[in-house]
Amino acid sequence: MDSDCLSLLPAVCLVLADPKQSPPDDTSLEKLLDWFKEMHSQSNEQVLLQHQPCLKEFISSVCTSKTTDPAILSFTLKLTGLLACTKQGFHLLEVGGLLVCVFEREAWFVCDLWEDASVRSGWLQGLLNMLKHRQALDFICGNGLLKVILQLQNDGSLFVACLANQLLVHILNFLTSSNMTNGSDAVESRESSLSPDWVSVSSEIMNGVVEALSSDDHPRVLQGLRLLSSVPSQCGEPIRSTLWKDVLVPLEVLINRGSESLTQPLMTVLQAAVMTPLLGQSEYKVKELLEAMLGSGNKNESFQCAALTIKLEKCPEVLKRKAIDIVLLPLQCVSAQSQDTAEKMNLALKEQLSKKASCISHLMQSLSSLEELAYTKYQFEGISIHSVTSSVVLLLRICSGHYPSSLIQNNASTRLIGCCKVQRCGLDTLGALSVYEENLNIRKDIFGVLLDYLKSPDSHATVLKKTYQATVSWIAVCSPFPDLLQFISHDLFPVLKKRMCDLRWEVRDSTLEFVTQLTVALNGNSGFIEALHTSGMVSILLSSLADSEGYVRASAVAVVGEAVDSSLHHTVLVCKSNLLEEALKQMMTILSQDTEGFPRRAVVKAFTSWLKGSHLVTAVHPFLSSVLSLGCNDFDWEVKMHTLELAEVLMEKTLTCCPYAVQNFGSSEKELMQALSKLKEFGLFDLLFNSLFDCDRPVCEKACALLLKLRTLTSESADFDSTLVLNVNGNRWGDEVQSRYLNTQQAKGSVCTSDERMDSGLHCIKDISLPMILHILDLDDMQRTLRLSSDHVVNSPRSLMEDILSAAQQSEDNIVDCY
Amino acid sequence: MKLYCLSGHPTLPCNVLKFKSTTIMLDCGLDTTAALSFLPLPLVHSPRLSKLPGWVSKDGAINLEKELKECSGRVFVDSQPEFCLPEKELLDLSTIDVILISNYHCMMALPYITEHTGFTGTVYATEPTLQIGRLLMEELVTFMERVPKAHAASCWKNKDIQRLLPSPLKDAADVWSWRTCYSMSEVNSALSKVQLVGYSQKVELFGAVLVTPLSSGYSLGSSNWIIQSHYEKVSYVSGSSLLTTHPQPMEQGSLKNSDVLILTGLTQIPTANPDGMLGEFCSNLSMTIRGGGNVLVPCYSSGVIYDLLECLYQFMDSANLGSTPFYFISPVANSSLEFSQIFAEWLCQNKQSKVYLPEPPFPHAELIQTNKLKHYPSIHGDFSSEFRQPCVVFTGHPSLRFGDVVHFMELWGKSGLNTIIFTEPDFSYLDALAPYQPLAMKCVYCPIDTRLNFHQVSKLLKDIQPLHVVCPEPYTQPPPAQAHRSDLMLELQPPPMAYRRCSVLGLPFRRRYERIQLLPELAKSLVPSEIKPGVSVATVSAVLQSKDNKHVLQPVPKPAPVPPSKKRKRVMEEPPEVLNPKPLLSGAVPLEPFLATLHKNGIMEVKVEETADGHILHLQAEDVLIQLEEDGTHIICDNNEPLRTALRDLVLRFLQKL
Repeated sequence: MDSDCLSLLPAVCLVLADPKQSPPDDTSLEKLLDWFKEMHSQSNEQVLLQHQPCLKEFISSVCTSKTTDPAILSFTLKLTGLLACTKQGFHLLEVGGLLVCVFEREAWFVCDLWEDASVRSGWLQGLLNMLKHRQALDFICGNGLLKVILQLQNDGSLFVACLANQLLVHILNFLTSSNMTNGSDAVESRESSLSPDWVSVSSEIMNGVVEALSSDDHPRVLQGLRLLSSVPSQCGEPIRSTLWKDVLVPLEVLINRGSESLTQPLMTVLQAAVMTPLLGQSEYKVKELLEAMLGSGNKNESFQCAALTIKLEKCPEVLKRKAIDIVLLPLQCVSAQSQDTAEKMNLALKEQLSKKASCISHLMQSLSSLEELAYTKYQFEGISIHSVTSSVVLLLRICSGHYPSSLIQNNASTRLIGCCKVQRCGLDTLGALSVYEENLNIRKDIFGVLLDYLKSPDSHATVLKKTYQATVSWIAVCSPFPDLLQFISHDLFPVLKKRMCDLRWEVRDSTLEFVTQLTVALNGNSGFIEALHTSGMVSILLSSLADSEGYVRASAVAVVGEAVDSSLHHTVLVCKSNLLEEALKQMMTILSQDTEGFPRRAVVKAFTSWLKGSHLVTAVHPFLSSVLSLGCNDFDWEVKMHTLELAEVLMEKTLTCCPYAVQNFGSSEKELMQALSKLKEFGLFDLLFNSLFDCDRPVCEKACALLLKLRTLTSESADFDSTLVLNVNGNRWGDEVQSRYLNTQQAKGSVCTSDERMDSGLHCIKDISLPMILHILDLDDMQRTLRLSSDHVVNSPRSLMEDILSAAQQSEDNIVDCY
Repeated sequence: MKLYCLSGHPTLPCNVLKFKSTTIMLDCGLDTTAALSFLPLPLVHSPRLSKLPGWVSKDGAINLEKELKECSGRVFVDSQPEFCLPEKELLDLSTIDVILISNYHCMMALPYITEHTGFTGTVYATEPTLQIGRLLMEELVTFMERVPKAHAASCWKNKDIQRLLPSPLKDAADVWSWRTCYSMSEVNSALSKVQLVGYSQKVELFGAVLVTPLSSGYSLGSSNWIIQSHYEKVSYVSGSSLLTTHPQPMEQGSLKNSDVLILTGLTQIPTANPDGMLGEFCSNLSMTIRGGGNVLVPCYSSGVIYDLLECLYQFMDSANLGSTPFYFISPVANSSLEFSQIFAEWLCQNKQSKVYLPEPPFPHAELIQTNKLKHYPSIHGDFSSEFRQPCVVFTGHPSLRFGDVVHFMELWGKSGLNTIIFTEPDFSYLDALAPYQPLAMKCVYCPIDTRLNFHQVSKLLKDIQPLHVVCPEPYTQPPPAQAHRSDLMLELQPPPMAYRRCSVLGLPFRRRYERIQLLPELAKSLVPSEIKPGVSVATVSAVLQSKDNKHVLQPVPKPAPVPPSKKRKRVMEEPPEVLNPKPLLSGAVPLEPFLATLHKNGIMEVKVEETADGHILHLQAEDVLIQLEEDGTHIICDNNEPLRTALRDLVLRFLQKL
């Protein structure tokens, strides 16, 4: 493939360098660069430049042309950098001053091309590509390019500025890397110091950072902070500590000034520092700086800082605790019922909580931080998780308009009534708090508030969804308690029944999903299953199978499937509620008649999970062949995929019934035979062969994989030849098999030579044995082709180059036409 | 200007406004909650109700077995249900000039006001209000007259007996003013006094005030009223809605710049959002039908039922209710459904435009066509033969004390599969259900009240900025059940004036101006003189004629020459003698030039003293004081008339004469 491409390369270079041609689009150029990059990594030091002189010509012609397009120039810069990233390549380009010609913008014929941001970004990218060896750094410093890079750090284009930053960090990083040190003592010298040659380079960059941080220009400060945040993680010593020492003073000034817009970038810098050994050394003051950021929780930005501090990995425990104290303040204050909590509230917070927007954002910060802590099961100290959880419960009550009159912050409360944002966030947090066992004794309160939300006619569909999620997590942890069943059957089920008849389909859908999750979470709890059947839930679930909305029908199928699965032990219940019979009847109707794909997919999935279940449902068996044939002929490719998955499970289950492992294969051949005939009865082979020639690639691939499995299994024995035969007449796949069969026979030269005999041959090959079919279909080859993505031809570099060439060709034609 | 409050009920108001020389009654709502104290009137003989034990006090001293019956721990009056009328003693109802009706729910007491009280005025209402109001009254009368009671109970009302009765009968107020329902002839007579008006139509009352109905968005033909004179404006807001339902949207702009805004008829259930309730209604209904039960919806025969039917129309197919029959049973069911379709101009834009397609504006027409919705005048007759279960029945009365609903309560109350869904917010559902206990049927309370809530009203008031707001007392404090919900009350600056039953409020603004017309010939005779740029002044001598609250200035008639030939002297109606008025002065006396003039006229010794209002000039030699003030000049000069005159003339030199 690559040799094809290489042969096209000169022509492509000519097209690209031709100023009369409009340049290909950016994506094509990027793809071309990707291809170069790949070539380079595969070439094992073999230099592309040597074999492809057209590249050098291309580069020099672009640089000397007076009418170069910015996109082509940018491409050339990146390409040059890429070609010069090996010492050899660099050397080849440096000879004759080509490299200088490319990267010295004074050397360009058209100077104002620099004004184009894509050119500047290409220039930086080129240098970044090149900077893989010491010569490259020499080149950058020797030609005074460092100054330009430092200037570009404050470029108007964000991409350029960002790239400049990246390049500077790369240079700093490079100074301490093994490339810069000679020979074996690389590791030691990295730790000790920088070679004096490079001190000036590093100090030039570092001074730039210090200047930026002390500047009054906000964007400059931001850029400085951005660079600074990359250094600790990317650069080694001594650069890291030297730089940190230099910036400590301006950093402190910035932190103490406390500008809200800088909070995030400053925290990113500190976050990067926390991850390094800088944290452990007191002279670098990382901890102090973090503490200063937090303040005492009396500044607006301290809440944001606190929230970010909590997220810090490796955050010192003292700081984390302080941050937690701060971040939880809004939550505690809004839900404060006693004066002492309210006293904690300082002026800044009071003011923030009195405004609706900031009150909501602070509460959300409190809640999401709490949620995050709960995910790690953080052990709070000094704060009881009990009281925090109660605060969340109270906040949720406030948001739904039910709250005690003893609240201190009454004003804030009325503003929060019906606020969906806080409700959703609070419910997420409440769900996460279920990890703390201490909370189990307030489960009554918690279930109470969750139930209120489920009952409330004003609950938004998304809020209900969150309520369900929280309820599931609490039910999962409370399952050992006997009062849970009481709650479910007396309180929860009546609400769920109503919600399954909600006006909004989203609510009906999430309710059904919730019942599915509930059934999964309480699987094996016989009390629950009994309640499900005796409370009339089953009949409503079954009636949901006829919902007007496809998504709801799909969820109903899933929940009915789950209910059947978990009820199988309780034969009496199942018979009484007629669940299985009714479910099968309605599901088959859906599979054969539903106009939407989702419910049909769900039906096949339900059958799959029934089969997977430990107790094989014999009642399902009579339906399997219909499911397989309906699924196979479905319009929706996903239904077909799910049908194949069902087939896979069916194969596993049927074939593992007999111990068909290779070692004792001989003894159980008969059983295998029986299993295969059973599969044939189900119509499994028809499904697999039909799917093999399906129009959807994933379907064919899956079928092919399953057939390969079958082949391994049957190839061991020749006995099947006579016994397990399939009719190949009158279906899609049969024709293909027949023609292949005849081809192989012809190749052998043994059978038909004349037309007559072929006819009779055709006649006699109506039935072919399964192993034979598997053999004549070249499944391995089919699998190989199917594995390639369907666009593999279109996506190849060769096609890319051809596109570029033909586009140029066409434009030439057009010119002629116009003329 | 005074406001007499004859009803304390916030949504069933009855107020009388005395404004200029007119007496205007604003609405006459009938509080039917009194009916809850009575036993239901069953359409079909109910063995349960007829076997209820009579009530005898514990010590046996009072025996009211005939009048009071006990049912599951509560005592009910066994008599024709009665209603609590607006206060009749606060002012003489015969003095009322006009009654303005804002919507059909607020006119149910009309016959009590206009009949047998000496009322001779006019009632103003929009056409749908009149027609649907008539239907509701007709329905009420039919409900009562269908089930006549042999005797009326009144002994229990005796004060000495009443205080010994169990609650809530003991606490019922004004029981002596409770009345049984009016008759059809009274309804007809009352409604014959109604004059129809259209939105924004200006109706002049005795030349004194203009009244204008504005669309209020609550129900078909519902209106707010503006009552204005040339210089004063009173707005009456009653039962308005900003939600998009079937009626024309609320007109807000014209309410701006009111001196007083009388605000009544806000939502009765401020915590229930109508959308959420509609959702609850549908899901409960669907759940019951899926479970094989029947749904009973006690409701008025007009209003929210149109929206309920429309919502169900959209919801039915998705909820698999396609084959479930809907029954609407009311003596006026047919008229109500048909009337709603013909008042196109009173509907919201969306429904109006359907009329041009042409399509019926409400989808219940389609429900009727497809036989999904059937309507019957009563449970007797066709209904009993066509009735199929499970079904949904809409029927009245929402108090559950009379109407066909009583029968369904008896029929379905025993089964837990059935559900009763309350959608009307006027009655406490627990009280309504009290005589049916114990009840197995499920009860769902989904009050749908589309009227303004506190949030909407505070936004509205911010927008229209009335100087003063008058409202029923309950709106000035949070609901008793939610004492901490400070958002569920009106918080205004200045605070609203609250009223309760029998309050008489002096409205806090004084009339200062009256418009007077100048006849052209009089105007022609005026000689204005400019006293400062842009302001000209002229004196007018004319005769003020006031007639029909209009004031006209006419030229003074010339004295008719006395006919000399008449011998006999007769007393003539002499026109008032017209004296030439003294010229009016304007301007100010400037100090320095005045001193200079005095000096010129030989007055030398002047001592000037500055005072708060101007100056005092002491002419020492003459012993005269001249006080120069902004609005007056006094010359104090004892016994020297020539000097005073001389000084006066000097002062006059500086002033302009008109």
